[in-house]
Amino acid sequence: MTTGFFARESTVAGPGFNRFQVPPAALAVHLCIGQAYAFSTFNLPLTKLLGITQSAPGDWNLKDVGWIFSIAILFLGSSAAVFGRWVERVGPRLSMFVSALCFGGGFLVAAFGIYVHQLWIVFIGYGVLGGCGLGIGYISPVSTLIKWFPDRPGMATGMAIMGFGGGALIAAPLSVWLMAHFATPTSTGVMETFVTMGVIYFMFMMIGVFSVRVPSPNWKPAGWVPSTKPNSLITTANVSVDVAWKTPQFWLLWGVLCMNVTAGIGVLGTASPMIQEMFPSVTAVTAGAFVGLLSLFNMGGRFFWATTSDYIGRRATYMIFFLLGMALYASVPTIGHMGSKPLFVAAFCIILTMYGGGFATIPAYLRDIFGNFQVGAIHGRLLTAWSVAGVLGPVLVNYIRQAQIDSGVPKAQAYSVTMYIMAGLLLIGFICNFAMRAVDPKYHYKGAVDASDKGGH
Amino acid sequence: MKGKVALMWLVVGIPLLWGVFMTLQKALKLFQ
Repeated sequence: MTTGFFARESTVAGPGFNRFQVPPAALAVHLCIGQAYAFSTFNLPLTKLLGITQSAPGDWNLKDVGWIFSIAILFLGSSAAVFGRWVERVGPRLSMFVSALCFGGGFLVAAFGIYVHQLWIVFIGYGVLGGCGLGIGYISPVSTLIKWFPDRPGMATGMAIMGFGGGALIAAPLSVWLMAHFATPTSTGVMETFVTMGVIYFMFMMIGVFSVRVPSPNWKPAGWVPSTKPNSLITTANVSVDVAWKTPQFWLLWGVLCMNVTAGIGVLGTASPMIQEMFPSVTAVTAGAFVGLLSLFNMGGRFFWATTSDYIGRRATYMIFFLLGMALYASVPTIGHMGSKPLFVAAFCIILTMYGGGFATIPAYLRDIFGNFQVGAIHGRLLTAWSVAGVLGPVLVNYIRQAQIDSGVPKAQAYSVTMYIMAGLLLIGFICNFAMRAVDPKYHYKGAVDASDKGGH
Repeated sequence: MKGKVALMWLVVGIPLLWGVFMTLQKALKLFQ
């Protein structure tokens, strides 16, 4: 039982508290942990720690350095799944604090690994410790936001998860600027950058720790009356986390998230070489601009689609993702043959809005299906789909592309088959979403729940 | 209370807008 400042009871909001203070508290955490998406800015400098201007014998290679990000994403999914129930029990303040300690501390441990030039310490620091910070931080504000915004749960969680997308937009230029600032003839400045970022991120996340509040048990928005219109896909009951993952609905949603993320992450990871190979006039610098633009649409889509889902429903929103996504992926080879760069960029920008939208809409979808009770913990377990997709997406894209090139297909056309396979993955997601039905009442939680945990629409 | 909410939004909004601005500035190269 936690007591004092970190106790859940200490975070209960008093009368007159403005609920719009909670989304920025969540954003303070998500904007920091979203740095993970920009980790690739460190990849090349990490391969030149000894040689400084170029890799020297004994320097780490790019393939091994690439594992840092993969381990972090693996631990993001695992820690969200393992610690989800703990996060629900202790509340958002303590879980955000632990996340800040892990994420900020992860940077410091990794900096030590760079200092002594031991890659395994960097794996432990940023990968394991930082990855746990990512997972706990990602889920910590979700159920709190849903309770504060029962009238607009999609918008509320969309705002926070938008921060995860936006974190990369801040981290990429910040990392480049800090490395340039700390670089000397004998140092790439990466170690100093890690220390600085660890401290900055810890302090920024503490803003969220201090300002987050949970609603009092009987709180509801002024003037809000839960809809009495029957909707089989919005429950008024609750399902506990230990039961939820035994229901078909959990695995259908797991499939929905996994397929949507696999298709998007595969493209995001290969966007730079893809646009350069499909359009030879595009330079590496311009390709970098394209990746930045995709990140921007990834972020915007999180807020746009999650908010839209409050009006058109969660299932309809994912139907749009899958149908429009299939059409866009299938049209990319034709757009490539036409040589239309603006159309190509537009198609991928829309695809990336739906990739981000898929992440941001899933907490509200879970709340609709399983109720408010333990929705954060259920969300944590569902994020294992992200870990799987994080491996599956890039492997599929890279493997198929290489197989195409090896069989004599020109580089510019090597992505055509990949795009059709991505469209196929979205078809599987579409089927999962189409099959979604209300949870059988036999799975409903029969115990007493907090009044603010009661579902409704 | 409204002032505190506005301050909170400024604290998270300013770095986010900076990130968006930097990204858009780079993205313009794509269409030049």
